[in-house]
Amino acid sequence: MRLLTHNMLSSNIKGVTNGFPLRIEVEKVVEKSVDFNPDFLKNMFAKIEYKALVEASRIMGYAELPDHAEPSMLESDDFLRKFHHALMELHLEEGTLVCPETGRKFPVNKGVPNMLLHEDEV
Amino acid sequence: MLQILSTKQLTTRFIHTGARILNKKEMAVRQASLGGVDVDLETKTNVEKLKRGIAEFYDESSGIWEDIWGDHMHHGFYDPNSTVSLSDHRAAQVRMIEEALKFASVPEDPMKKPKSIVDVGCGIGGSSQYLARKYGTECTGITLSPVQAERAQALAAAQGLENKVSFEVADALNQPFPDGKFDLVWSMESGEHMPEKAKFVNELARVAAPGARIIIVTWCHRNLSSSEQSLNPDEKKLLDKICDAYYLPTWCSTDDYVKLLQSLSLQDIKAADWSEYVAPFWPAVIRSALTWKGITSLILSGWKTIKGAMVMPLMMKGYKKGLIKFAIITCRKPE
Repeated sequence: MRLLTHNMLSSNIKGVTNGFPLRIEVEKVVEKSVDFNPDFLKNMFAKIEYKALVEASRIMGYAELPDHAEPSMLESDDFLRKFHHALMELHLEEGTLVCPETGRKFPVNKGVPNMLLHEDEV
Repeated sequence: MLQILSTKQLTTRFIHTGARILNKKEMAVRQASLGGVDVDLETKTNVEKLKRGIAEFYDESSGIWEDIWGDHMHHGFYDPNSTVSLSDHRAAQVRMIEEALKFASVPEDPMKKPKSIVDVGCGIGGSSQYLARKYGTECTGITLSPVQAERAQALAAAQGLENKVSFEVADALNQPFPDGKFDLVWSMESGEHMPEKAKFVNELARVAAPGARIIIVTWCHRNLSSSEQSLNPDEKKLLDKICDAYYLPTWCSTDDYVKLLQSLSLQDIKAADWSEYVAPFWPAVIRSALTWKGITSLILSGWKTIKGAMVMPLMMKGYKKGLIKFAIITCRKPE
């Protein structure tokens, strides 16, 4: 699971008002090299929650991303590369995504999150 | 057969409380306050059984389908009355995707094209891969089957699309996404599995961004005439047999989908019957099952898959009788 995916996932449990972002518990992180595509990154910047990405990348072991970002920073190659690395190249292979309100754990196995809810959670 | 909160009951409820798409909080409140028309415990258990059945069916049969037919688990789109050879089917399946996008008028202009896509009921990711490649953007797919999700991920990686497509095991009736996330909400032949059509449609609308297009391609039964309350007993009997083998809940009609979309104030609602364009499909699937490879694969796969294969002639019968319709319903979420 890339952090781009993590950035769009939310806990949907009954009664939860804000299930985003899910907290990450790491068991295994894998870095996978991805082609650098500035246009794609610029498009994505507008769509993601940056703060959640920064927090998640820190937990995954990458501390280079600045705390805050403005769209103007997208012109900086240095920033774009860090953004690229955090968003696209850090993979949670094994671990858990935790609902920020209920603490309910959603497993991530072989890079695939399982977001299915139990009967009493819908 | 499962009869979970009929679409008519839920549609009425939606209309009475105003035409709005419910966000997650409102859905929670709505579900809690459903008085006499509540989803009781037995129904909930049936829904859980259905979801498990669906997951197990696809866990078991995805591999054999992929082996013979490839990564698109949907009907092909053919010219009516054409004769089709085995090699034409993949092109027809790709054409199905393109025709659906065209029907929904999904923009191709670089400024207006979709920038985030969700594939609801993604199978092994055939559509996800195609859409991500076509629009040069990211697509995420959800499926109840862990086997499919893993396979989808592997296939995407093999195609070098690992950075553009992602997959999660998740429930279309409780999509794990915040409101308004996606520019294109895609449901290609998964709607027939959804036990609560109103909830299914509400989730599609909820995760759609303002201005997004929603595309539903699904199996429906024929529309009822104004004097009819339901299908006739023979028709129900035929569908029941199919439901049992394919883990489908009660069918609804194309009109039912249109009414649900209307009740949510979605715009540009279009619907069509594409049954004549998919006619060569089931005969072709049956022929492929009867090849040496088909038969041996079925024997090795499992009872669920075999049962599914045996029911295929009933699908053909249903189409021939005008009972089963291959429907497309699309709309746009207001800005």
